[in-house]
Amino acid sequence: MMEFLIAWWANVPEAAAAYALAALGLLLCERSGVLNLTAEGLMLVGAMAAMGAALQIEGYPGMALVVGMLAAALVSLLFALLVVTLRVNQVIAGLAIVFFCQGFTQLLGVMFDWQNHPVPGLLPVRIPLLADMPIIGRVLFEQNGVVYLIVPIFFAVQWVLHQTRAGLRLRSVGENPEAADAAGVSVPLVRFGAIVAGSALIGLAGGLLSVGGVKMWFPDMAGGRGWIAVALVIFARWQPWRALAGAVLFGCIESLVPRIAAAGIRVPQYFMLMTPYVITLVVMAWTAWKGRSRSSEPGALGQPFSREERR
Amino acid sequence: MRSLRRGRPVVAARRRMSAAFDAAVTTVAILAGLALSAFILVVAGVPAEELANEFIVNTLTDADNLRAVLAQAAPLAFVGVGAALAFRVRFWNLGLEGQMIAGSVAATAIALADVGPPVWRLFLMLVAAMAAGMAWALVPALLKLRLGVNEVISSLLLNYVALNFLLHLLYGSWKDPVDAFPHSPAFDPFERLPDLGWGLNAALPLVAAAAVFAAWLLGRSRAGFYMRFVHANPSVALAKGLPVAALVLTAVLLSGGYAALAGVCLSVGQEGRLTQAFFAGYGFSGILIAFLARNNALAAVVVAFLVAVLFVSGQSLQVFYQIPFAMVRLIEAIVIISAAASEFFLRYQVRWLR
Repeated sequence: MMEFLIAWWANVPEAAAAYALAALGLLLCERSGVLNLTAEGLMLVGAMAAMGAALQIEGYPGMALVVGMLAAALVSLLFALLVVTLRVNQVIAGLAIVFFCQGFTQLLGVMFDWQNHPVPGLLPVRIPLLADMPIIGRVLFEQNGVVYLIVPIFFAVQWVLHQTRAGLRLRSVGENPEAADAAGVSVPLVRFGAIVAGSALIGLAGGLLSVGGVKMWFPDMAGGRGWIAVALVIFARWQPWRALAGAVLFGCIESLVPRIAAAGIRVPQYFMLMTPYVITLVVMAWTAWKGRSRSSEPGALGQPFSREERR
Repeated sequence: MRSLRRGRPVVAARRRMSAAFDAAVTTVAILAGLALSAFILVVAGVPAEELANEFIVNTLTDADNLRAVLAQAAPLAFVGVGAALAFRVRFWNLGLEGQMIAGSVAATAIALADVGPPVWRLFLMLVAAMAAGMAWALVPALLKLRLGVNEVISSLLLNYVALNFLLHLLYGSWKDPVDAFPHSPAFDPFERLPDLGWGLNAALPLVAAAAVFAAWLLGRSRAGFYMRFVHANPSVALAKGLPVAALVLTAVLLSGGYAALAGVCLSVGQEGRLTQAFFAGYGFSGILIAFLARNNALAAVVVAFLVAVLFVSGQSLQVFYQIPFAMVRLIEAIVIISAAASEFFLRYQVRWLR
């Protein structure tokens, strides 16, 4: 039993890290008032770009992840152009970008033949002494570098949002862009910045899936994790620490599924694979039923800002 | 000060908009999107002089290809009209693929269990498919109406649930005993949409009737008028005493039913059995069709025909130039992005202010 629990928990941090990065990225973006549905697509871009880089320059998985972040940030510029400058409906623009990314990554990945080539990828880093502790050592201190990076990234997001002038601007643009505009804050600039910064984190989440997790690339490998991250942000009521807690929850569920199969417990496989989606639905319904999510939603979420049509 | 001297662009809301200007801008945007796609295809290795040939001449003048386009147009028109129905009441039904799966699973269940006499079998399959598609659409609809759950995410997540359920059946009890491949046993001839001659099956008259009904519902009926009201402003519609929930539910359920029939066109109509990926790519195509057709049911049929041309061309590109079929997805996304971006120029005027 203990064996099973440790094997399960040891896989949780990595699975949770992808959700946490994607959710924190989305959260940055949505606190500035931009409804961001692009996560699924940007994760695919991050995953493909990171794998492409890992196959070209062997031995530098960190560099590969940076390439993934840059690629996702680059694609997000197109999204920002659509929703901020051209004021396109944010749902349509988000969906269009997701499908753009799905087509684009599949096309490039297949044409360059990046499919199913395993790479060494990110290796676990043992933290001396701490990793020797029973149970906790295996679970928390034998992870890859990105998992440890979650901690500073989380505090950075929290600090930027709540302690800095830039964060105040970002939140004011998300709550009431008219007031922010009148106070001299450039709404388009802040939103561009939030989208690009958030998307870089989402790209890192994607790179973690390919270079960190399965260590190879195949089409549509994000498998709905981007959509779950979008739901997670709603469940987290746009609060970073709640997003982190939600990410751990989904990390637990995701890493439990293969463990159960590996332990030889006979349950219908495809019903197990359904569980993350079903649980997301249940969590969304539960959050809505508690009825507090609406009030903590950024005031201008999903509404394009146009100075010319100020009410 | 420098910016003042050099001048700057000023955006102003457009007061008047003519239908001709609207059509012109949208057409230019779509053509620009297609031009960009053509450029990508050339980069990917398709000879430029062959493009027009592949896309237009071959698909429309060759009888076999035209047949393929018409066969492809039926499911696309079904999902397109289905998406338009839901979008008319501001419901983002992104669960079209899940509803296609639910419908085809129900139809297959009827066929495999030999429910009813053979004469009625196909009819029962169609009814079961529509019911299942509606039931699958009912979940996000109720979650939204009762609890205010965002339907974008809930309907999308249900696609993954439906897909895993489909795989559970195909790798489990429905696996074909003849060849042990993960697809269902083939349907009997009387369980398939009948042939109308010239290689076309009954999906075409079915989708024509469905589109005309949707056009009547949205454009001519009282309910359609109310739906337009709900689309324009749901809270005012509610304050005016319109049955907003009932209208939304009607439109979304119909949308799910239409998506299910799109699935049936593919599984029961074309493939003759339930397969693993018959639905792939139709969900987004439906959204694209409804968006470009401005949620108009008859326009959706026309756009569906054009998307079918794209699909069939995509298949021949795959065969002759080894371009992955994902290219079609990419072209669709580029077209929708350029069409959506062009709306800016419909709504605003950009002038250079000195």
